[in-house]
Amino acid sequence: MTMISKDPSAVAKVALEVDSLKKSFGGVAAVDGASFSVEKGTITGLIGPNGAGKSTMVNLISGALSPDSGHIRLDGQEIGGLEPHEIGARGLIRTFQISREYPDMTVMENLIVSASNQGEKLFNVCFRPSVGKKRDRELVERALHTLITFGLYPLRNEYARNLSGGQKRLLELSRAVMADPKVLLLDEPMAGVNPALIEKLGEHIVELNKDLGTTFVLVEHNLEIVEKICSKVIVVALGTTLAVGTMAELRKNKAVVEAYLGGDVRERVGS
Amino acid sequence: MDIILGYVTTILVFFFTYNIFTLGLNIQFGYTGILNFTVITFMAIGGYVAGVLAMPKAAAGSGIYYILGLNLPWPIAALGGVLAAGLLGYLIGQIALKRLRSDYLAIVTLATGTLLYGLIGNGTSIFDGWQGLFNVPQPFAGFRTWTPLGYSIFFTIMTGVLFVLLWLFANRIYKSPLGRVMRAVRDDQDVVEAFGKNTFKVRMTAMVIGSMYVGVGGVLTIAYITALSPAGWTTGETFVVWAALLVGGRGNNFGAIVGSFLVAVVFNEATRYLPQIPAHPNLIPDIRYVLIGLAVILSVYFRPQGMFPEKKNTFLEVPLGDSSKAIEEHLAGGLSKVGEQ
Ligand SMILES: Nc1ncnc2c1ncn2[C@@H]1O[C@H](COP(=O)(O)OP(=O)(O)OP(=O)(O)O)[C@@H](O)[C@H]1O
Ligand SMILES: [Mg+2]
Repeated sequence: MTMISKDPSAVAKVALEVDSLKKSFGGVAAVDGASFSVEKGTITGLIGPNGAGKSTMVNLISGALSPDSGHIRLDGQEIGGLEPHEIGARGLIRTFQISREYPDMTVMENLIVSASNQGEKLFNVCFRPSVGKKRDRELVERALHTLITFGLYPLRNEYARNLSGGQKRLLELSRAVMADPKVLLLDEPMAGVNPALIEKLGEHIVELNKDLGTTFVLVEHNLEIVEKICSKVIVVALGTTLAVGTMAELRKNKAVVEAYLGGDVRERVGS
Repeated sequence: MDIILGYVTTILVFFFTYNIFTLGLNIQFGYTGILNFTVITFMAIGGYVAGVLAMPKAAAGSGIYYILGLNLPWPIAALGGVLAAGLLGYLIGQIALKRLRSDYLAIVTLATGTLLYGLIGNGTSIFDGWQGLFNVPQPFAGFRTWTPLGYSIFFTIMTGVLFVLLWLFANRIYKSPLGRVMRAVRDDQDVVEAFGKNTFKVRMTAMVIGSMYVGVGGVLTIAYITALSPAGWTTGETFVVWAALLVGGRGNNFGAIVGSFLVAVVFNEATRYLPQIPAHPNLIPDIRYVLIGLAVILSVYFRPQGMFPEKKNTFLEVPLGDSSKAIEEHLAGGLSKVGEQ
């Protein structure tokens, strides 16, 4: 496994760095000394068996939980223990393992409300309502474009609660795009999605990565799509980093095969 | 004629003040999802503080005790009452909104309300305990020589104007980016937080504004009745405001108005004409509570979103720049089908 490089030019290329991160729940060490780094502009996979601690890591990185010990750095700055909104405001946006749309708002509103700097201040409500109106015009424009890209345009005025499971996944990703994230941390964005849409979501991620330079961290159990779009894959097991490499390399790694890529999985991946 | 007019003005004042309470709760619960289970406490604090600011010093030896007694002109006293309600909202928010999820918040608000009720009731030196304040000066009473009816009409108009202004402001919040973020917080606080927005601040804003609304209602109540005692703000009254909002339609200010009309006017007035049974003086008010409870049950069962559910918000899609062309091109390409599969 690669250790974190101390070379300054390499540091500048690192978007997200996790260093000896630990988090226990009572007696359960959910994350137990995990260390890895994610280079800027890459799509990095984060895989591991159920209960390996992936979602807990996502929660620690995004501030939903605060670490017992260890460091998390975004663009070289410590973010461990910050409030979720502080981390979100620094450009790290996460999605949830189970889709969490705003059910009683329309698809369009789901997108617009997710943009940063909407002018959502009481001062503006009282004295400068035009600020919000002007910004809304820009946001509507952007949201329409995003919805078209994601194929949600016809559903724009539908309540988000009425979308299908797959459509909610598309909504989550398009909503995240509206926030202009530097790093997008996706917790199983393809869970419960049909193969055609998995393909589609994969394409969207690759496109966003290319066009906007967004760094992606993709927690996923579907190894086919991980292999297809991730340049680097981190394997976690029992709360620690087990190995890092391309999928091809990992498949040759005995420890990884034993911990996660058991026979049946290997068959599914087709190696 | 005068009797009818007097009756109508009283009902209207009652209706307008109830609307103001309901609007305040709508901002807290309907917009932002804050479960405030002590709405009526904010009305009491607003009313009491405005009262003691407007009243003269409590006369020594009169057996009546209250704090302050600053003899301030009504507009200043009213403002003080509203600010006091807002401050109470802020303090409860500091305890309840920081870490607690909405259900715990409900418990904290309920507990705070009960605590203040006991404190004010038993702490005779604050607002004269269970006896309460009376002879509270009426706004602009010395402005000219009023006939009783003339004053009632004046007060009704003043209350109506305040209600309309507060209604417009509540709608303005709803339609603003702030209102949108509030509704997102209501739908899923964690997601809003993950998107880099300080949800504590958003919820606190709604809490304080809502409390101030209810405070305005309290200031008007004490000014109209010229008295206020704990018997007038028991916990049950909070749920009358809740009933108005739930039956009318949370998230919809028009629904809030209809609900207030039903609960505050129809039920209140209809039960007034039931024959009094001397042995059971509380029967009529109790029947009113039963009816209100029934309305809530029926509404939750048959129309869970209320009579006037929250409206769907759409956006003006007049394209800027080249987007209309782009949209047409994309749609011609059949991309729109993807989301519909
Ligand atoms: N809030 C919590 N309280 C107690 N234990 C927890 C909590 N959250 C997670 N755990 C435990 O920590 C371990 C790691 O859980 P986590 O959800 O991070 O796994 P995961 O890798 O995301 O699994 P999956 O692939 O199934 O989503 C599990 O043993 C889980 O039971
Ligand atoms: Mg998980």
